[in-house]
Amino acid sequence: MRKVAMRGLFARKLRLALTVLAVVLGTTLIAGTYVFTDSINNAFDTIFTVSNRGTDAAITPHKTIDTSNNGGTPPTVSARVLEQVRQNPKVADAEGSVFDVATILGKNGKRIGKGGAPNFISSVAEVPRFQGFTVKEGRKPQNADEATIDAATADKEGWKLGDKVCAVATSQRKCYTLVGTTQIAGLSSFGGAAVLDLVLPEAQRMLGKGTGFDEIEVAGKPGVTPQQLKTELQRTLGPTVDVRTGKEQAAKESKDIRDNLGFLKTFLLAFAFIALFVGAFLIFNTFSITVAQRMREFALLRTLGASRRQIWRAVVSEGLLLGFVGGVVGFALGIGTAALLRALFKAFGADLPSKGMVIEGRTVIITVLVGVIVSLVASISPALRAMRVPPVEALREGAVPIQHGHRRRMAIFAGVLLALGIGLMCVGLFGSLSSDSAAISFMGGGAALTFLAVALLSPRLVRPLASVIGRPIERMTGITGQLARENSVRQPGRTAVTAAALMIGVALVTFASIFAAGAKATINNAIDSNLKSAFVVQNTDGFSPFSPQVLRTVDRVDGVSSVSGVRFSEAKVKGTGGNQSVSSIDPRTFLGLYKLDMKEGGDAAVNNLGPAQVLVKKSYADANDTKVGDTLQMTTPIGKHIAQKVTGIVDDKGGLLADLTVTNAIAQTQFGEPKDAFGLVGTDPGANQAAVKQQIKTLLEQRFPEAEVLTNKEFKDNIAGQVNQLLGLIYALLALAIIVSLFGIVNTLVLSISERTRELGMLRAIGTSRKQVKRVIRWEAVITALIGGVLGVIMGVVLAVLFTRPLDDFTLSIPVPSLIIVLVLAGLAGVGAAVLPARRAAKLDVLEALAYE
Amino acid sequence: MNLPEPLLVSAADVVRVYGEGEAEVRALDGVTVGFPAGRFTAIMGPSGSGKSTLMHILAGLDRPTSGSVVLDGVELADLDDKRLTDLRRDKVGFVFQSFNLLPVLDARENIVLPISIAGRKPDEAWLTRLIDAVGLGDRLDHRPSELSGGQQQRVAVARALASRPAVIFADEPTGNLDSKSSGELLELLRRSVDEFGQTVIMVTHDAVAASYADRLIVLGDGRIVHDGEAHTPEEVLDLMKAVG
Repeated sequence: MRKVAMRGLFARKLRLALTVLAVVLGTTLIAGTYVFTDSINNAFDTIFTVSNRGTDAAITPHKTIDTSNNGGTPPTVSARVLEQVRQNPKVADAEGSVFDVATILGKNGKRIGKGGAPNFISSVAEVPRFQGFTVKEGRKPQNADEATIDAATADKEGWKLGDKVCAVATSQRKCYTLVGTTQIAGLSSFGGAAVLDLVLPEAQRMLGKGTGFDEIEVAGKPGVTPQQLKTELQRTLGPTVDVRTGKEQAAKESKDIRDNLGFLKTFLLAFAFIALFVGAFLIFNTFSITVAQRMREFALLRTLGASRRQIWRAVVSEGLLLGFVGGVVGFALGIGTAALLRALFKAFGADLPSKGMVIEGRTVIITVLVGVIVSLVASISPALRAMRVPPVEALREGAVPIQHGHRRRMAIFAGVLLALGIGLMCVGLFGSLSSDSAAISFMGGGAALTFLAVALLSPRLVRPLASVIGRPIERMTGITGQLARENSVRQPGRTAVTAAALMIGVALVTFASIFAAGAKATINNAIDSNLKSAFVVQNTDGFSPFSPQVLRTVDRVDGVSSVSGVRFSEAKVKGTGGNQSVSSIDPRTFLGLYKLDMKEGGDAAVNNLGPAQVLVKKSYADANDTKVGDTLQMTTPIGKHIAQKVTGIVDDKGGLLADLTVTNAIAQTQFGEPKDAFGLVGTDPGANQAAVKQQIKTLLEQRFPEAEVLTNKEFKDNIAGQVNQLLGLIYALLALAIIVSLFGIVNTLVLSISERTRELGMLRAIGTSRKQVKRVIRWEAVITALIGGVLGVIMGVVLAVLFTRPLDDFTLSIPVPSLIIVLVLAGLAGVGAAVLPARRAAKLDVLEALAYE
Repeated sequence: MNLPEPLLVSAADVVRVYGEGEAEVRALDGVTVGFPAGRFTAIMGPSGSGKSTLMHILAGLDRPTSGSVVLDGVELADLDDKRLTDLRRDKVGFVFQSFNLLPVLDARENIVLPISIAGRKPDEAWLTRLIDAVGLGDRLDHRPSELSGGQQQRVAVARALASRPAVIFADEPTGNLDSKSSGELLELLRRSVDEFGQTVIMVTHDAVAASYADRLIVLGDGRIVHDGEAHTPEEVLDLMKAVG
């Protein structure tokens, strides 16, 4: 029996190939994601292991709260700690180092690195064993006027030894003579980041570290194990610092970066599962069609004495085998997909480091398992149908009719799924879930169920939709259009599943474009209605904080009336879980440049904001039942405990401020945040705006190249650009799901054509030209694609409206032209999908086709 | 006295070889035959005699290995695939053993299909006459699945007649029909010759069917072994025995 099943399988190579292709397409992005992210993690692991190789113990400042995400300025370890460490009898050697964000200037005087690729300044170790970088060319810097830079950056910028390289950080611009290039663990690139190495005192001065360090590396005396050294140091130095062994430090640095990049894996896997979900439709459809086409064969087997169970097993084992093969091929292609992903991210400005592809056992297992499970699930329903075929069908003339007995039950089932899907989405949207990721899981799961329900209901929609879409085509093309339309509704279930696969991709594209358009409109509104300033100042990378000197200097430009800096930090607040975001403002100038809705406390609460006071956002106050007059006990990133009295409750439609807002002075002294993240600049009445802006621009270029000045319009464009870039990435990743669904159209057409071989033979015999045959197939594909497109656009709009409802002040704007383009593209995609099937149909030999059974 | 009639379809020394070397099969081995207009010809012969191959070659569905075929004054060997397709569309009608109607079109749409494919408008008067002749007046908006075998085959004949082709080729048209439906169908073909002056060439292995024809050609091993008149099934059977 198994032999029969397998022979039946290999007898039809085309069907076999198409089914396997469905599994391959569904699984390859999963494998690609794992290989890609594993490779990145491996590269970072290597970097950190190598850079900590000579370190027995590492001392870092103890952080009361983890501020790795807020971009604020971290605390340092004081020079006294180093003295203390050096005097310890177990210590052979110890040295301090600094490493922090800076701005390295290219030959044009502007920040290097496109996208958000960061620039760093690092100190060079005196003690060779502590030196993570190796010199590739030239030598180490020996005085405050020399520097080395990573080889990849030197290459990219065309810098040679002896060139001048300038940088800016907390201290002002300084230029260095390049005396060498560096690499780490054989990797010339640190993931797109540029690293400029200076001698320690110069690095400390540039980064504004004073005499402090970001880390102290320690080597133990012979016979002292790293673990002993760690225990000894932690005991003698006390709780203000963290001591780790070199290995632990490497693991921690690695983990920090993994945590930061963790979203990347989740993000990519989400798209991989979308593609797989779409692929499942394709697998199911292919199985259903191939089983339907072999009904006579199964009936014959039943007549010859095969049991129902044997038939069932034959079909399911076919599914398992195809799933396995598809999974294995999907995995193999995943390596190529990983390379594509890398290229994609590089194109979007994120050059992630790589040290060869990393293929873990887990990747193989997951990919193959997913392929097998999806195929298994997809083959169950066709297997049931095959099992139930009555033996007598073998003797009947003509094709075995497909049973439609379960229509009603199917509709009820779809209704239940729909209700469940919408329910889950509502829980995600309106339920008070503890975390955002839980909410997103609920919404995603709900959306998936909703898609399934619509797919189940869509056979009923196929006929009316095909009619609406097909009539104009029919009027245009006559008989070919009519045949195409009639063919598309011949097996409504088959067309529906094919179209539903495309629907998912189109719905997500529609959703993303509506969401992005809404986000842009919302931000524009917020900027228009809340910014009273003429210009904004920000870091050229768009997010890093910049020296407070910048705004002080801008304030002195002729025509500038006032400036106001905003800073960001975090704090732990007694009585609430997790970290709270904290912003700080300059109370004297803030309200002159920015519009806030004061819910309580009035403008005075802002203008007179004192050192022991705090402003609270309305949403935070509502959630935590905070009232004016309450006192918030806060722990800051540098470990200070402060008590701040609530004097005002604000509603910030512009979304600039964090939940809690203190003064910039408090941010500096209590939070250790000396830098501004965002600057507002107002002009005198009647001042020539363009002239003032030009003056500020020139000033910044000369003295603070890390900062830039933007008009409100430029600022809006800037944000729109970032939204568009993200949207582009999302489109690129959704493209795979759409390609998978297009293969679904190809698949269905090819299988349908093989069913209609005799009809095509007749059409050709009575004088239908090859061109006309192609046209029939092409229009059928277009109709199927447009059914998917129309359903997708509708679903996308509905989901977008639903999902944006709970967002405060979200301006929903439906980009009608984009949606029309989406539909046109869907139609064109149909034309593309029809190329191969149409060619096959046109190539049929008339006589063979007529004799075909 | 008897001037040779002008030939509508003619084959001259047609050879058709399938396969090569050891596996070579000569399906047609030098067939020369002509068909005047307005006649009903039956082609018979045992399996493998080459009767279907001859019909395919005469209809422009297959090409001879050597020899020439002229249909309504056109030498088929000179035509490329496109022109051959157009010729089939405009000058040839087909009736197949297994009806071969399009299941997605109703009876009327199936009948006018060749005209629709050519992008022309049907001649309504002719169509009315045709539909009347095939006797499907009240079933025109039914799809093939709602028609009996005999009705489907009559739709197929109407389709073949619709564009008033020069010649209709029928390949075992009664092969899938019961005897009553067969009789009705053959009567219809006979009428199309007698009333409309249609030329019909029919391949069959049914002696009763062949007896409706004006002329009987019998093939054996790729050659014509008999060409003459045959009016009753008994005569046909005797003839077949004689050549068999």
